[in-house]
Amino acid sequence: MGSFKPVLLRNRGVENSRSLKVYESRGGYRAVRKALKMTPDEVVAEVKKANLRGRGGAGFPAGVKWGFLPKDRTTTLLCVNADESEPPTFSNRVLMENDPHQLLEGTIITGYATQAQIAYIYMRVEFHEQFHILQKAIDEAYAAGYLGKKILGSDYSLECYLHRGAGAYVCGEETGLIESLEGKRGWPRIKPPFPAVEGAFRRPTVVNNVETLSCVPHIIERGADWFTGIGPPHSTGPKLFCISGPVNKPGCYEAAMDITVGELIERDDMGGGMLPGRRVKAIFPGGVSMGVLTADELDMKMDFVDPGNHGLLGLGTAAAVVVDQDTDMRMVLRNVARFFGTESCGQCTQCREGTAWMYGIATRMEEGAGRIEDLDILLETARNMGMMPGLSICGLPDGATYPIETIVRKFRSELEEAIRAQAPGRVEAVLSAVN
Amino acid sequence: MPRIIIDNRQIECREGIPVLQAALEAGLDVPHYCYHPSLSVVASCRLCLMQMKMPHPKTQEMVWSPKLVPSCQTPVRDGMEVRFKSEAVAKNQKACMEFFLLNHPLDCPVCDQAGECYLQDYSYHFGDAESRMVDQKLVNPKKDIGPGTLLYQDRCVMCTRCVRFIGEISGTHELCMVHRGSRTEIDVFPGLPLDNPLQGNVVDVCPVGSMLDKDFLFKRRVWELSGTPSICPGCATGCSIRIDHADNRVCRLKPRFNPKVNDRWMCDEGRFGFKYIHEANRIASPIVRRGLEQTTPSWEQLPEIVRFRFQEHVRRNGAEKVVAVLSPFMTCEEGWLLIRFIRTIAPEAALVMGPVPLEGEDQYFPVGATSKAVKFTILAEKCPNRRGIEMLLKAAGGTTLTFGEFVEQSGKGEFSSAWVVGGYAKPWIDKATAKIAANIELLVVQDIFESGLVAGAAIVLPARAWVEREGSFVNTAGLVQPFERAIAPPDGGRYDGQYLFEIAGYEGLFSAGRVREMMAESISAFREIYEAPVLPAHTH
Repeated sequence: MGSFKPVLLRNRGVENSRSLKVYESRGGYRAVRKALKMTPDEVVAEVKKANLRGRGGAGFPAGVKWGFLPKDRTTTLLCVNADESEPPTFSNRVLMENDPHQLLEGTIITGYATQAQIAYIYMRVEFHEQFHILQKAIDEAYAAGYLGKKILGSDYSLECYLHRGAGAYVCGEETGLIESLEGKRGWPRIKPPFPAVEGAFRRPTVVNNVETLSCVPHIIERGADWFTGIGPPHSTGPKLFCISGPVNKPGCYEAAMDITVGELIERDDMGGGMLPGRRVKAIFPGGVSMGVLTADELDMKMDFVDPGNHGLLGLGTAAAVVVDQDTDMRMVLRNVARFFGTESCGQCTQCREGTAWMYGIATRMEEGAGRIEDLDILLETARNMGMMPGLSICGLPDGATYPIETIVRKFRSELEEAIRAQAPGRVEAVLSAVN
Repeated sequence: MPRIIIDNRQIECREGIPVLQAALEAGLDVPHYCYHPSLSVVASCRLCLMQMKMPHPKTQEMVWSPKLVPSCQTPVRDGMEVRFKSEAVAKNQKACMEFFLLNHPLDCPVCDQAGECYLQDYSYHFGDAESRMVDQKLVNPKKDIGPGTLLYQDRCVMCTRCVRFIGEISGTHELCMVHRGSRTEIDVFPGLPLDNPLQGNVVDVCPVGSMLDKDFLFKRRVWELSGTPSICPGCATGCSIRIDHADNRVCRLKPRFNPKVNDRWMCDEGRFGFKYIHEANRIASPIVRRGLEQTTPSWEQLPEIVRFRFQEHVRRNGAEKVVAVLSPFMTCEEGWLLIRFIRTIAPEAALVMGPVPLEGEDQYFPVGATSKAVKFTILAEKCPNRRGIEMLLKAAGGTTLTFGEFVEQSGKGEFSSAWVVGGYAKPWIDKATAKIAANIELLVVQDIFESGLVAGAAIVLPARAWVEREGSFVNTAGLVQPFERAIAPPDGGRYDGQYLFEIAGYEGLFSAGRVREMMAESISAFREIYEAPVLPAHTH
């Protein structure tokens, strides 16, 4: 545990770490030179061997994803998913703010491995400062010959564009991102065809998360064996974890995927424990969409496997938010339901209607007019919306239902108690006002 | 042809179609909203989900996959096995119907779509009788989106068929989606209303009561309507349509599937172009004039009078002084009967093709499409049967004239008796043409509305609108397309086919089919007619 040295965040805190000069002086862009001497297939093989699983939320192995590209393709596009919209996640932001060239280096190597001609960095619109930081880094990289025609004298060329979204959660879903990139409404596409076969502008497309790509230079430079040496076999490599809520040191921290949720809260080099007088009541360990844990489940490992054992959807973005003992779970429920109610894209029936309905119920419960049967309706609605296997075009409804389902299931006694403590006649008053 | 198994039943289906289409064609009622066979597949309503047998990842044994897949998005594959009759599928259908109706205003009693609404039907067959939703409903707004159409967003199921139609068929792109989640709305762009020649089709593709036809709004309950298959007479395209009528009045026209002509669409010009048939100033009954005397003969007397008057003229002035002007609004059968009558009485009689109305230019859709990409055509030739009448004239031989030649020669007094057929929806007699009445002793005019020519005619025969007749039109592509009679003429009297049949010397009831058989003996083109296939019951 003590032997882990930051990899992705190694330049954080270094003065002027955003600049090309500082990045190069600390070993940056060596991996590109190395990669360009390898064949693209060798780069893909190395990443496959490292078992680099996607950091965006689904954990799909990046090398395998690249392998889906058709062999006879003539054009390949690379999309960098910088639409980080999962509450309460900010690890991509930290990476882009502190080390934009690390992302660009990963982008160039991935571009080379997939033989992409163009890389689009799709950035959420709320990243104003980060947009300028990254654009400056791109300009520097072009000037230094890392981007553009014949990179570093090789035969490989890559153009890189920074594209800003318009503020929709669903545009972080890879096909929603592609639609939005094409200038359309960000409605996820039906699959097949998968983006690797027909993606942006109907060309074979690879979509990877910022953190995933930031890992790539290190895999190339230090080798797959080094990467697989970090963390358990199913969850290899360094990982960024976010912790927020009533902890002493909210922030983004790097570790191997062998830590527990409790450690993330308590460790001095991480969350640093709860604020004085605050106790953990609940925690969303992987961004809200993965679901909630109780205070009894803090031994859950932050890896790609263990969340499933706790009824969660997955590791997600590994961004934990803590809920303390004084917070009403009805409020949490309403807040989570509100987010998905406003962020459902409106395409598939279950998600469009289900999220809004759940938000309506949660709002009424918070206002002190809940009914016990509402809890059952919430659970049933969550299941009717499709929870693994999903019933919709994209995974948003899975992510919308897991937190609701886990809150209701794991905190049912508290919710029932709150309902029983409601002012008499309140339910009837509220419902008669409606009807 | 691929063979697939649906609900333990083996069916043969067409290559390359989605499973949903195959199921519908096999007669199954699979609920669906967003799927439309002529539009792109979006698979967003999630109502048509099915279960599919797939190889087990470990054992490779074929087992029912736990994940439901959209049948609209899954193409048929030989040997595949799927099912709709399963607990999981039914559960999803039921849940979906609950979701669709959560915020629906349940205003069927005042909704135009009631009776032909797939929210009603599917709710009845696949949903629950009661809603568990007790909270305030979201009320999305009602909007006036264009001159022809209203959008009741509160009834919308967000199938996006209308948006896809406007994008893929009309190509005019006026419609879009705005907002997110359950606040998502169909909308037009500011200052750009839904206004294109095909906009009426959005009402047809809408499976619920969200898109409403202003012309039909609140006029009739749809269960009062009877539908009669017909052919649109608006232009030479010859779209298959259905005439919805009640109490002997046409209430609305709807397109009817015709894979060779109009697919599932029709243009607004055709859709709303029927209004003239209910105008009060139509010629209602036959008129016979002799000198200053004007009588209205009974339908029974009429054939004898017409025949006698023509015979009289032929005797006096000679057969070459007789002429008949046929109209491109006549059916082939009527044209044939008229030619038969005229040429029997006066074998040397000249035959004339009436004026062919041309308006503007041919319009192709989607806008800007060329050749193969064209999905719908509105022709400048605004009549249904020029080709059919031309075929008859060619077969009849003898003297044929253009309408211009006819007017010119009439002016010179070349003809002593003429039978002029009109039937145009719009006024077609100009002053110069009206003058010929003075030069023709026996002028028979068969028309819908009064005109200068009608005023000078010795015999006036009321022409009926196409909805009051039966027969066939030959469209621009040469298809002989028969159509049925939907309503009776305003006076309840005889229609063109019937009185021409009698004037031509036949007895009994006119039947277009029987006349076609007689025509086919001498004109082979009429041996083959084209009738569009009837769609399976549960398609929409």
